[in-house]
Order: sequence, then C-alpha cells, then structure tokens
Amino acid sequence: MARLQLRNLEKDYGSFRAVHGINLDVEDGEFMVLVGPSGCAKSTTLRMIAGLERVTGGEIRIGGELVNDKTPGDRGISMVFQNYALYPHMKVRKNLSFSMRLKRRPGAEIEKATEHVSGMLEIEPLLDRLPKQLSGGQAQRVAVGRALIKKPQVFLFDEPLSNLDAKLRASMRVRITDLHKRLKAEGQQATVIYVTHDQTEAMTMGDRICVMKDGRIMQVADPVTLYNRPANTFVAGFIGSPEMNFLDAEMEGAGNVRAAGQTIALGEDFAHRLSAGSHGEITLGIRPQHLRIALPETPGTLKGKLNHIEFMGHEVYLYVDIGPKRLIAVVPSASYDRGALRDDWVWLTADPKGVHLFDRQTGENISLAA
Amino acid sequence: MAEHVLSQSPSPAQDIDVVRAREMRRHRINVALRYVLLAGVGLLMLYPLIWLIGASFKTNSEIFSNPGFWPENPTLDGYIKGWQTSTPYSFGTFFLNTLWIVIPKVIGTAISCTAVAYGFARFDFPFKKLLFASLIATLLLPNVVTRIPQYLLFRDLGWLDSYLPLWVPSAFAGDAFFVFMLVQFLRAIPRDMEEAARVDGATTWQTLIFIVVPLLMPALISVCLFQFMWTMNDFLGPLIYISSVDKYPVSLALKLSIDTTEAFEWNRVLAMSVLALTPALAVFFLAQKYFIDGISSGGIKG
Amino acid sequence: MSGDNRFLGLFYLSPYIIGLLVFTTLPFVASLYLSFTNYNLMNEPIFTGLANYIKLFTSDRTFRKSLWVTLVYVFTTVPLKLAFALFMAVILNYKLKFINVFRTAYYVPSILGGSIAIAVLWRYIFADVGLVNMGLQLVGLEPVNWFGDPTNALFTITLLRLWQFGSAMVIFLAALQSIDRTLYEAAAIDGAGKWTSFVHITLPLITPVIFFNLIMQMVQAFQEFNGPYIITQGGPLKSTYLLPIYIYDEAFKRFDMGYASAIAWVLFVIIMALTLIAFWSSRHWVYYAGDKRS
Repeated sequence: MARLQLRNLEKDYGSFRAVHGINLDVEDGEFMVLVGPSGCAKSTTLRMIAGLERVTGGEIRIGGELVNDKTPGDRGISMVFQNYALYPHMKVRKNLSFSMRLKRRPGAEIEKATEHVSGMLEIEPLLDRLPKQLSGGQAQRVAVGRALIKKPQVFLFDEPLSNLDAKLRASMRVRITDLHKRLKAEGQQATVIYVTHDQTEAMTMGDRICVMKDGRIMQVADPVTLYNRPANTFVAGFIGSPEMNFLDAEMEGAGNVRAAGQTIALGEDFAHRLSAGSHGEITLGIRPQHLRIALPETPGTLKGKLNHIEFMGHEVYLYVDIGPKRLIAVVPSASYDRGALRDDWVWLTADPKGVHLFDRQTGENISLAA
Repeated sequence: MAEHVLSQSPSPAQDIDVVRAREMRRHRINVALRYVLLAGVGLLMLYPLIWLIGASFKTNSEIFSNPGFWPENPTLDGYIKGWQTSTPYSFGTFFLNTLWIVIPKVIGTAISCTAVAYGFARFDFPFKKLLFASLIATLLLPNVVTRIPQYLLFRDLGWLDSYLPLWVPSAFAGDAFFVFMLVQFLRAIPRDMEEAARVDGATTWQTLIFIVVPLLMPALISVCLFQFMWTMNDFLGPLIYISSVDKYPVSLALKLSIDTTEAFEWNRVLAMSVLALTPALAVFFLAQKYFIDGISSGGIKG
Repeated sequence: MSGDNRFLGLFYLSPYIIGLLVFTTLPFVASLYLSFTNYNLMNEPIFTGLANYIKLFTSDRTFRKSLWVTLVYVFTTVPLKLAFALFMAVILNYKLKFINVFRTAYYVPSILGGSIAIAVLWRYIFADVGLVNMGLQLVGLEPVNWFGDPTNALFTITLLRLWQFGSAMVIFLAALQSIDRTLYEAAAIDGAGKWTSFVHITLPLITPVIFFNLIMQMVQAFQEFNGPYIITQGGPLKSTYLLPIYIYDEAFKRFDMGYASAIAWVLFVIIMALTLIAFWSSRHWVYYAGDKRS
C-alpha cells in the first residue's frame, strides 16, 4: 500500500521554524496537491518527504514504514524537478534507465521498461538525444519518464510546469492527470504529491488539495469543498479567480449584515449557517461570481459606483467601488443591462449560498454550520 | 488505524534523536578530517616560503643548522650585503632593469590584445575563421620551435643585448592566451551599449575606447596582472638576449649570484630571492579577486 | 554594421597579423629549414639534408637520454599533478569555512614556482645540508643525497612541478562548483551513493576541464626549463637534462643552430602528436555542456 502519513512534521533552520508540526494523510493512489504562496514551505515539506532535507521533528511514513532515516533512494519515491534535472551528459535512454542500471537489473528488463515508459510518454523518437537537444516540454516528459520507470510508491512533483509556457502548461496538466488515471487503471501504485503555487493547477489536477501558509496547513479538502466551504479567509481568498471580495462588516439582527455603511439582507435562513456564540466584528466574503445586479434602489442590497467594466466574451467583469473598497462582480453578459444603472451607480445583491462570514480576528469561517 | 501503526514502533521520538545525533557526529568527523588534510597540505606547501622569509633574516651558519623558520638572532645582514651583490651594480639596478622590461610589455599587451580581441569579437571580415584558428594554434604551439629563428631575427635587427626582443612581440598581441581570454569575456557581454553608441554617431574606435574598454576592465586587469607576474618570472628570454651584466633583470642577477663563487653566502642569495618574489606576491594579494576570477573564466569555457 | 568597411575588423587585427607573420610564422618555417642545415652563426647556413636527424636518432646518446628523461618527467608529473589537483579540489568543494584561505595558500606556489627565486630556494632545500635533510634527521631518518643521485635529482624537479598544483586546482574547483546541485538530488533519488554520484555525475561533467588542464599541463611540462637548469644544471649524469635544456645548450652554448633546430622540431612533433591524440580521443570521453562549439 502506498499511503503517506505526516505526523507533527517540523523543520527548523537554526532558530527559524519553517514548518510547524503539520499532519497530513494521503491515501493510496490519491493525487494530493500542496499549494500556497511562496514561502509557505510546501517545497520544504516535499523535500523532506523525498529525503533531500533532514527532518527536525515529527515523522514521515510511506506505506506504513517510518522513512525519516532512509536515503532518498531507499524510500520508494521518485521526483520530478522544476528544472527537470536531466543528466546532461547522458542520452535520454541512459537518463531513463539510470536508476535501474544502478540496481544492476538485467539488460532485457531495462530495455523493456524503457520501451514501456517511453511509449507511455510518447518520447520514443527522443531516446538517442541528449538533454540539450530537447525542448522544454520534451525534457519535462523525459523527467516524468525517469520517475515512472522506478515504479515508486509515491511520486513527488516539485512545480514541474513552472518553466513551461502557458499553452504547454495546459497540455502537460492534462497529460499528467491522464497518466495518473492510467496507472491506477493498470493497478499500479500511483500516490502523487504535487507542489505548485498556481491555484488553477491545484484545482484542476488534485483529488484533494492541501493549502499551506507560513509552514502551516490552512485546509485540506477536495476542490469543490475548498471552493464552496473555505475554512478561513486565507483559503477563501487564495482559491478562485478572481479573488473573493472581502468587506469589513458587523451582524445586524437576524439575517442582516451591515457593511460599508449599508445593510445587506441575507435572509432568515442564513442564521442557521452561523456557528454558535456571539459574533462581533466579522468579515463578509463573497465571490465575484455570486454577485448579481439588482434593480436600482432595491432595499438590502449594496450600492456602489461602477468604476469600469471588462467585456470577457460570455461574462462581464464589473469593477465597483463601495466607499474605499473595490469589489469585482462577474455576471453573465446576457444579464448585463445598462438600464440597471443610474449615473454609474449600481446595486448589487448576493446569492446567500455564496456568502461567507469570517471572524475578523481569526479569519475562521463562522458560516459553515449547515 | 493510524494510532495502531504508531504504537508498534518503540518511542519514535527517541529514535529520531539518537539517529540525528549519529548523523551530526559523522558529519562533524567528515568536516574535521577535511580540515586536517587541508591544513596539513597547506602547511607543507607553504613551509618552504615561510622558511625562505625567515632564512633571509638569519646568518649564513644558522641557515644550515636550524630547520625552524624563526631566526635566533634576526639580522638584516643578508639584505644589506645581498643588495650590494658581487657585481659593480646593486640589486636596485637589477630591479629597475626588470621594470624596463615589465612595464612596456604589460602596456603593449593591454593595448594590442584589447584591439585584437575587439576585432575578433565584434567584427566579421574575410579570413576571420582562419585567423581565429591560427590564434588557437598559437595557443597550443610550443614556442621552443620558434625561439632559435627569433634570436636570429633579432640579431639581424640589431636588438641583441637590449630589452626590445622581450616586449615587442607582446605589443603585437603575441600572447595568444590573453587575446583568447579577452575574446571570451567580450563574447559574453551584450552588444547593446556599443550599438547605442554607434547610433549616437560614435566610430568603432570611439566605441572601443569609451564603451568597450570600461566594460572589459575586470578582464583587462586580470590580463595585466598575469602578464606582470609571468614577466617578473621570465628567465629564458633574458638569458638568451641579455649579455651585459648592467642590463640584467632580477632573474638573471639571481642566477649570477649562485654562479659566481662556489661557497656563496646563502643568506644573501635568499634575501634577494625574497625581494625578487615580493612584487609578484604583493600584486597577487592586492588583486586576488582578479586572478582567481580570471583563471576560472578563462579556463572553463573551453 | 552598415556603412562599415568590410575590412575594418582586419584593421583591429593588424597588430596580431603582423606579429603572427613576423614573430611566429616566419620563425616557424625558418626553424624547419634550419633543421636541415649546418649553421654556426659565422658563415651562411649549409644545407645538409637529413644529416642532423640521422645523427640524432642513430649516434646521439645524449639525445636519447634527454628524450627519455623528458618523457619520464612529463608522464609522471602531468597525471600526478592533475590527480592531486582534482583530489584537493574535491576536498575543498564542501561547505567549509576558510575555503578562500586554503585556495589562496595552494595557489601561491603556482604563481611563484616558475621563478628563479624559487629554483634557488629549491637548490638550497635539497642540498646535502639543506632543509629537507635537516628535517629527515630530526625524525630520525638518514639524510638523502638529492643532487648526487640521478633518480633523486629527477625527483626534486618533479616535486617542484607538483608543488605548483594550485593553478590546476583552482580551475577544477570552479568547475566542480558550477555543477547544478539538483543533479545530485536526482541521482540520490535514483539510488546513487556518494561514490557513484562522483563517478557518474561529477567526473563526466568536468571532462572538458580535465581535457583543458591535460593539454595545458602537458605542453608546459615538455617545455620545462628554469627548474632543471638552475637546480641541477641538467645533471647529475644528464638525469635531469630535459630536451629544452639540450636545445638551449646546442643553440646558445655551442652555437650549432641547425642541430638545435632539429632537436626542437623533434620535440615539437612529439608534443603535437600527443596533443592530436588527446584531441582525437576527446570525442569519446569529453562531454561539452551548453553550446555546441567543438
């Protein structure tokens, strides 16, 4: 079984603690993405799993076995590096078979494995080339091939697509996820830990996503949950594009919220979603896609000045200033009606399902009770 | 399930500490061994030099009795008597002579190699490939083969017993190594600034003087330093061409001092040796950065 | 650039072209011609055909001895010096303090080593009552007759060259430090230990530098003059009589220019042959990174 378990994992550099006792369980065959802004220690965590950084506290278990003291070669892992790290003086064929040659596997076995892997990644015509003769995309496929051939328990990816251009990134994303599905279908172990700073990559590739910040886990969940039920303002703001709108607010009676000097009606049912306890200062969060244009002067809506709009084809981006704050609303083009404006004033309403309230102090989402 | 797995291994926290301590110890031993080896070799390497300096302050008899480097009764006798030499000339004359060789050579090298490197790196012209190949060939050419006819050439020019044969070839970019080094350095510099200068109306010559040379400065300094050091050490050249003692540079004068008498005063010779080495050493320490950078960049590319 | 004279580049190359013709090409051709003559500076050169070469290879015992000594010298010092330089570079290629101090300490001998001052020092150090013998006696060993014994004399000259390993080491160190660290990480993940990584990753990637150093050191070693000339005067019994010294003696002591030129050409051909062999073999073991320059 290729489960990965991190228990109270810590990394200290001298007196600086980079990773603060994180706990994570990755299931066999799961595609787990570690995502977060730079400095969140996701790469450090990955490198500790690989054995390239020494663990200063806690445990790492692969397949149930403690691997803290094992060399990178003995952990049953393989890794795809951001800069590919192909051995420049070896042809592609030799790059792929290096790990097997080190273990002195018989030539026929190496041949077969090389063929199989290069077929999977469509790099057969490249087998006799040197790395410097490969394009970025080809080099990355060879790097993936090198990882595959080892038949590891866990695959580690360290921002493998960052060095590629946008179009290539999109096609490689698909290739990697297809590869993962295919390996699982063939019954092979295919647990993946994938590090990226790009939330689009995370959301489209991961079975589950682990959002990290400053060496701590902010939330671990599947993409849908992460999007619809973010545990705190950080996750809410990190996942989703354009970013979620945040407004300072206070509770006002049942089902009402006061923000930017205006009262917004959320409906009585909304109160069921709130966690127990009294709530003082809160932050109101709402995704651009959940804002709607209301008829002018509708009570319980947010009134703001339209700054400018961007026509994106089948959507329109509205940039609305409410006091000093700028909100973005994304509405379908069909529903955008200039008649709903009065001298650049626009009234916005929110689908209560898309509204989140966060404790202003802790950032915790207090509207997840239902 | 997780708890069940965890409780099987005994005190994982304790294990980690024990292993981590062992790792640290192994690492420390590795580092310690390296330091010991490095220091040992370093001491062995430098002891002759350290001893040389110490010996220059010893008396003659002490040199042959005391392997330690600190003189028992430090004396400047070696320096004073050595400076006077057994010739009508003092070592001062010989040092001056060396300068008469070194300075024209360094200047000539700097100017000609810069111009030639500029030509190679920035221009296309007929026979360029051939000429560059000839540069590489000269680099590898053992100059033992050209030494004799060069002597005959200089004899026919009437340049024997003068310093001209020692620096004129360098003034014609004769040291392919330096041209090569500058060409490599120039190739790595983008042409943007020079192109901007040309657009501003500068001629290639003006571009060379005002734009390229300042950009080339670090490599040029390396070139000058290396040429300075190598020329200070040059022995065979002066040996072949300089016959009058009053024209001897330091290298020939030193040889003279161990030739003349059988039982010569070692402390004097060693004292003068120290003086002979000092300029090179001083220059090296003052401009260390340029040396090591120069040799690494010139060497890696190829 | 447009508007520039096509030959502008040649203008800047003119010092080099003049120098190349006058100080290199002409003497090069002349020396070949001289090797087929008898020329003692008094009269005109007399063409003697292959006489010099025949004498060299059939009846000149000094030449045979000198050639042998030179080959021994080159084939011992060059591999030893390179191996030691690489070894020290590997030791230094670690997260240590004072790396620059050590690097400088090893480099200083190579900038001073070719000088007469050091040769003089060496002559003292290995004298019968010199530093080395004093040191040996201090640890209870017998003093060695360095300059009187042919093998020992060659050893002192060899040691002088090895002492100057610093310049080669600095180049090796720079090459080692320029290797991408992630390659070692990938190798570790592939299961390579320290030694395997060194053999399969480090060594192949520094072959260009090994090659460069090999050529440079070999060409220099064949032309060694100062050391043997000052320290042992080529003796005892011509045991340190390297070819460059023989050439010098023939040309500038006995003024037999033709014969000296012939010896010089033999030396040149040997050097060129070995260099060409090295170049030809390099295709099989040298890997070039980056650009595809040959």
